[in-house]
Amino acid sequence: MRDSLDRWADPPLLVLASLADEPKHGYAITQDVAATMGVRLSAGTLYAVIARLESRGLIEALESEDRRRPYRITMAGAQALAQESERMSRVASLARERLTAHLGWAGA
Amino acid sequence: MRRQLSTRPLTVLPSETWLARAALALYPPAWRARYGAEVSALLDESGAGPAAIASVAWRALPAWISPPGHLHDRPARMRSSLATALLSWSMLVGLGLVFAQLTQFQGLVVPGHPVVRLAYAVFDAALALSVLVAGLGGLPLWLVMLRRTWRERRLRDAAYLLLPVIAPGVYLVALAVTVRLVGGAGGVSPWWFLAVVLAGFAAAATAAAGPGLALRRLQPRGPALRLAAVAAGVAAAVMAVAAVAIVIAVTGLCLWARGFAGYHHVTSPAVYLVLVLAAATVTSVSALRGTRAALTEPAAG
Repeated sequence: MRDSLDRWADPPLLVLASLADEPKHGYAITQDVAATMGVRLSAGTLYAVIARLESRGLIEALESEDRRRPYRITMAGAQALAQESERMSRVASLARERLTAHLGWAGA
Repeated sequence: MRRQLSTRPLTVLPSETWLARAALALYPPAWRARYGAEVSALLDESGAGPAAIASVAWRALPAWISPPGHLHDRPARMRSSLATALLSWSMLVGLGLVFAQLTQFQGLVVPGHPVVRLAYAVFDAALALSVLVAGLGGLPLWLVMLRRTWRERRLRDAAYLLLPVIAPGVYLVALAVTVRLVGGAGGVSPWWFLAVVLAGFAAAATAAAGPGLALRRLQPRGPALRLAAVAAGVAAAVMAVAAVAIVIAVTGLCLWARGFAGYHHVTSPAVYLVLVLAAATVTSVSALRGTRAALTEPAAG
């Protein structure tokens, strides 16, 4: 079930969330997202997202380590992540309320 | 904010599989220069399986369609767009010449359907105008680069810049010799015609790739570059009109001239039109990007 819902995930949001605690390079981001959020980001998807986030100033590259380059979230990225988290939180609350009221859902 | 804390050592040797390299080769040069080594390292660390490589290959398409803006400054954007637009424009011109050879040069017109004849006229005018604009607009940049190669004794770059003259010249000589040797009263056989056409596209690609390589190596800036970028936009727009004329004429021939050789088979014209539309799209998008870069920051370079 989780695999089938992977395509619903928002990769830019996952990457921003992964970078919210500390800078990470590509492999560390994929490992963190898989371990904490249950989504496997492919190499192609990850770097498409990194390029877009960097282009919009939401993340920035740090000095390269060998062929790996760590990234960190910027202030603009943190603000965007906070806004999106707030919106998702409201959606989640609404979903829980309605599931409980109409379908008798008691929580996972 | 703390510096990077993920310290997993890189224990796998650099991925040298030709599949991974081929997937990365699909990306625009600027993208590859910025992220290629990182993606390669990620593939090494996570295991470069077919699915991972396929995902990398698939994502090359949006990287071309919508390249990240931070990878180019304005002059680099113009140079990159010019190189791509020149290559696809030359392919489009080649497709247009094939169209002319297989239609109006054969006298294919449909009585009672003036739209085909009108499409021929529009195509001729648009092709001539596009070539004129591209030539005049690109000439100053070409001369600037050629003068620099002469001044700095850069023979390889000079050779690249001369390819637009050399490649078509060699092709025309080879064509004349081939036609003389294998041509009969009714022209050359279909297989020889195909060979001549393919050789023509190879010559056009070579002629266009030369200045593209020179742009990349010499990295010119300034008014000549901006003029060439704007001219490329105009030439591409005019050539798009020629492409529309081709579509109308070929469709008209398929509908109304089914008795003419070739036009009762829909497959070949359909494949041809797909190629025309693809080349016109790439040319228009690339040229538009270059023109926008030239016009939005006139002081650049």
